[in-house]
Amino acid sequence: MSTLKPVNEKARLLLEAAESGHVAEVTAMESVAGCATTFDPGWEVDPFGGVASLCQPMEADLYGCSDPCWWPAQVPDTLNTYPAWDANKPSAQNDWRELDAVFPEK
Amino acid sequence: MILKVLVFALPLALLLGCSHAPANRSSDLLITGAKPDHLFVISAGTRTVRSDFHIPDANDSVGAIVPSPDGKIAYVLVNRMESIAGVDLASGKEVFRADLSSPGERVKCMFAFDITPDGRELIVYELPTKLGLDEYLVEEPRFAVFSTAAGLEAQPLRQFPAPRRVHLLLAKKDGTSFYAFGFELFEYAVADGRLIAQRGIRSWERPGHSIPDLLAIWPVTEPTGVFASPIYSTVNAPGAPPEEVPTTSLMTLDLKNGRLDYRDFEPTAALIFSTVMSPARAEAFGVYAQLTKIDTAHGSLAKRVNLDHTFYAVNISSDGQEVYLGGAMCDVAFYDAATLNKKANLRLPGCPDQVLASLRVIHR
Repeated sequence: MSTLKPVNEKARLLLEAAESGHVAEVTAMESVAGCATTFDPGWEVDPFGGVASLCQPMEADLYGCSDPCWWPAQVPDTLNTYPAWDANKPSAQNDWRELDAVFPEK
Repeated sequence: MILKVLVFALPLALLLGCSHAPANRSSDLLITGAKPDHLFVISAGTRTVRSDFHIPDANDSVGAIVPSPDGKIAYVLVNRMESIAGVDLASGKEVFRADLSSPGERVKCMFAFDITPDGRELIVYELPTKLGLDEYLVEEPRFAVFSTAAGLEAQPLRQFPAPRRVHLLLAKKDGTSFYAFGFELFEYAVADGRLIAQRGIRSWERPGHSIPDLLAIWPVTEPTGVFASPIYSTVNAPGAPPEEVPTTSLMTLDLKNGRLDYRDFEPTAALIFSTVMSPARAEAFGVYAQLTKIDTAHGSLAKRVNLDHTFYAVNISSDGQEVYLGGAMCDVAFYDAATLNKKANLRLPGCPDQVLASLRVIHR
């Protein structure tokens, strides 16, 4: 028997669902289609193991990856979470120096 | 004397989908979008920007573009894929607006919407999520149909269930149905959303071919009425490339008759993001970091040239003599369709990135 005990309602519901054998359908969150918790390099290597088939230059692909929250891209998700990341920076090749890292809100 | 009049049936050139004389490309207008809110109208003849419109409340996001059949209005996916704006291409005025989200429900349209051939309705794919206090609730996707006459606060006329993972909608030319590209190619009735047919993308059943990989988010069907997209798979058959080398095929869907074709044309040597069919010859053109010409009659690579940089979007002149490249960065390039020589390059004012905006051609 598990020694873990639920301390809130959600945890209690999880335990009940597991014990009764009833598990809600897991549905991919399509509204953030393209986003995934994966950390693929994205831009270092192309599908052929080289670099010739990467977007040239990398800036050509920068907003093309952040705007739809493209899955391998290591850029903020401007589709939902950080829509203002590229505000006033319409040209990646000219404005990339102005782009900043993002941090969780405190 | 009996005057004998011999009538010769005028032999039309062997043109794909062409039933009239090739249009004069100097009357072509290119439509593209760019950050933060630009909608550009470009004269193909003079290679100049004719209009630079600003779409209200675009929220730094200008995506898929669908021109009305009469070429007078461009419907644009904006606002982080949560709104569709209709912009009059003569005045730049916003004449239509559908904001898909509502308080507590965030709705995204992932590139997938189209207009009916009569120009009266927009069919939009909606991905809704309820935003709870401490959780997201994923809802069932749906198609929503809007009247294009609904003005700036358009609400759907009707809605019906949709499958997941749809990223492209294309209306059939007869106006009765539309195609949705998801895991499979679905066909639905416009009137009531009834599923008419489902054909293989994932289940394409091509002997020796693996499940394919398809990226289709550029809704170009002009001027031939045939949609084309590169599609990748591995092939296990005599004469096929080694397993680690995929094969590039060209997928074509004829919106006039619904014919769906796949044709291999090369072991993948270069990525291609989007393609367009030529109205003048049995050819297609694809773009990414190279411009690729595909011989569609023989299923082979005809020619390939390196580009100055990556482009996402490709289109073609009404007469099939020039290829237009756009998307990604801030320039539109003009290439000769026969030689693939670069003829011109137009840098958009202010150099704003086009990103995933469609590159469309209308002919006036």
